[in-house]
Amino acid sequence: MEKTILKCENLNKKFGKKQILYDVSFEMKEGDILGFIGPNGAGKTTTIKLILGLQGINGGKVSINGYDIEKQFTKAIEKVGAIVENPDLYMYLTGYDNLKLVKNLYKNIDDNRIDEVVKLVKLENRIKDKVSKYSLGMRQRLGIAQAILHRPNLLILDEPTNGLDPEGIKEMRELLLELASKEKMAILISSHNLAELDNLCNKICIIQNGKIIETSDITDIKHQKNKQYKIFEVNNTDLIKNIIPEAIIQKKKFKLDIPKEKVPDIIEKLVENKIKIYEVKEEEKSLEQAFFEKTGGNVIE
Amino acid sequence: MNKLIKNELTKIFKKKSIYITLFIILSFVILTNCIYKFFYNGTSNYYYDDNYIQTLKEELVELDPTKESDMQLYINVKTQLDLFELSERYDKGSWQIDILQTKVYDYIDQKNNYIYGEIKDENKVKEMDNKINDIIEKLDKDDWKYFAQQELEEAKSTLEELEKQKDKIQDKQELKTLKDEIEYAKINKQVAEYRIDKDIKYGRDYKNNALNTYQNEARNVYIMGEKEEPLTYSEKQEYNESIKNKEISQYIIENDVDVNKSDDLRGILRDLFEQYGLFIIVMIIMVAGTIVSEEFNKGTIKLLLIKPYTRNKLLLSKLITIFIMIAFSIFAVIIMELIVGGIIFGFNSLSVPILAYNFNTQTLESISIFTYLGIQVLVQLPKYILLATLAFACSTLFTNSAVAIAIPLLGYMSADIINQLVIQFKVEFMRFFVSMNWNFNEYLFGNLPRMEGMTALFSAIICILYFVAMIMPTFIVFKKKNIKNI
Repeated sequence: MEKTILKCENLNKKFGKKQILYDVSFEMKEGDILGFIGPNGAGKTTTIKLILGLQGINGGKVSINGYDIEKQFTKAIEKVGAIVENPDLYMYLTGYDNLKLVKNLYKNIDDNRIDEVVKLVKLENRIKDKVSKYSLGMRQRLGIAQAILHRPNLLILDEPTNGLDPEGIKEMRELLLELASKEKMAILISSHNLAELDNLCNKICIIQNGKIIETSDITDIKHQKNKQYKIFEVNNTDLIKNIIPEAIIQKKKFKLDIPKEKVPDIIEKLVENKIKIYEVKEEEKSLEQAFFEKTGGNVIE
Repeated sequence: MNKLIKNELTKIFKKKSIYITLFIILSFVILTNCIYKFFYNGTSNYYYDDNYIQTLKEELVELDPTKESDMQLYINVKTQLDLFELSERYDKGSWQIDILQTKVYDYIDQKNNYIYGEIKDENKVKEMDNKINDIIEKLDKDDWKYFAQQELEEAKSTLEELEKQKDKIQDKQELKTLKDEIEYAKINKQVAEYRIDKDIKYGRDYKNNALNTYQNEARNVYIMGEKEEPLTYSEKQEYNESIKNKEISQYIIENDVDVNKSDDLRGILRDLFEQYGLFIIVMIIMVAGTIVSEEFNKGTIKLLLIKPYTRNKLLLSKLITIFIMIAFSIFAVIIMELIVGGIIFGFNSLSVPILAYNFNTQTLESISIFTYLGIQVLVQLPKYILLATLAFACSTLFTNSAVAIAIPLLGYMSADIINQLVIQFKVEFMRFFVSMNWNFNEYLFGNLPRMEGMTALFSAIICILYFVAMIMPTFIVFKKKNIKNI
């Protein structure tokens, strides 16, 4: 059986009278890459801070590798690496010095491990430069190097693609996939950049207004369709309205909510009316669309 | 824990600001030493400057000696000018000028009085002229011992005369006055003897200063000792101060060592904490005031807090780092002064001991400059620790570097003023105030503390209480703190 690495049970958090989190629960097993998705202000960062013990928990429990984060903090946090909000770096130090500071705080890490990690995040050429001269992408990578230096089995990344250009995002994704396979760690990634997580995560957790509204495998969420649209690309959509009244027309295309078996019937009708059909395909729902369907847009209470 | 402290020190010493501060301190140390070397003249004083003479001359022209209202002023100004004319014949720092000031002034004044005053008397004027000329003659011969001898003779004869009177007087009050005068005469005789024995030429050097101090303080000690009613606390303090100064002056005269000298390496080291105290404090506060708040401002606190250490340990490591930095700052300033002062003044003066009068044993103790420095460090340490702790507490509680630096600095600067006011107006309850207690200098060598009834133990307890009062909430708040968005 796969080992449970992170377990959040009924997490509640209040700031004053305002309740931020309501009974947030989820679980991560070895090798999981969990996409933690929600609009801004939904409580993603707060949840992460509770997991890391950065904020007090008002109700519920977090356990990491079987240790309670509040009661056995040092043991629980020992195998966790994290970037919260931004990579926290000492700008006036070199990249290498930053890693060395982290290295000093753990047992059983030698300098070779630093070189190894630097190579992994591809910072070999710039590691002796001051961090203040780094680009944002390099800082993100150094932040990850910092977080994985002590070989954690849980890596928590809070919006790691924030502020990166498409090229940087691509690099980041490759890096994370490499990490997951090479270092065999569970990775929790929070993001509102859904397209990003599409090809990365194997699990998704959607949070809105402090409540978890969906937890499932990524394939499930995409195929969990309320409506199964078929898209028809034709040369003329003028007549469609008369032939098939329920069609939703978009320029040279229209779409229909019908099961697969009925597609030949429609084609037949179109052919009868001498409408040329260029393409018929099933509408593929992206994670993003699934997300918007679930959350109903970016609403902050 | 060691690793945490090591990391903290790495962070501090990789910052540019610490080197900038050290550089500024070094520049100031060099500047101070240069000023002492090239501009300090604690001994030679020239009585007149040209502006002053010019003013006197202009004043004299406007005055009319025949008018009764102007008369006295005219005489005064004229006397000053006459004296100046005589002074011009000698070198600016020479012993002759001292004699002119002390001995000839009276004669010139009398002479002028007989010329311009109400009672005009030409014979008296001539008499005065003769006396002045006599003295001038001796001055020109460079015969200072003549004057010393004269002083001694005078003191002796006064003493004899007074002793003779002693048997005749019955009235208690008069007897008391006589006794006082005899004592003064004895002191004068002692001073004159010292001058001749130790070959102390008139002038303004440290030996003459010591003689003057000795004369004044010996009198003070006698007066205070003779008082019938018990001394008040501030009088007791004065009395102690007089005894100390008297003993030290005596040591200087007898051993011919200038222990009060401040323009050499030893002198600057002795006053190190007065000279450079502010720099040490600025450096300490700078480190202590940013050590936590900067981590919050830059967000790096999160990095620390998700490491396998408890929050108490993290904070404690920072506190210990501050203590190390206090030691470093003191050490750095001492080393700088040793090197810079050594280069500018040479190291010879370090062999001269520091004198401390021990009121318990009533003896002068001579201690080496390094022992003295060690004692001073210990004595100043509570102040540094408390200020650093204040900065540290503010830094943690407010997570704002500016506040954490400004508050302790303000506290340090206002502490002296508060202390002064408290002592001046005897505000009793303020004895529990921290700045009244953080300097243990007064408890050394059995001296009287600044307020009656205060003891070293009392001050130590107050300091510890303040320390705990600052540290406890700091640790509690830090432990419970929610790390909000940064």
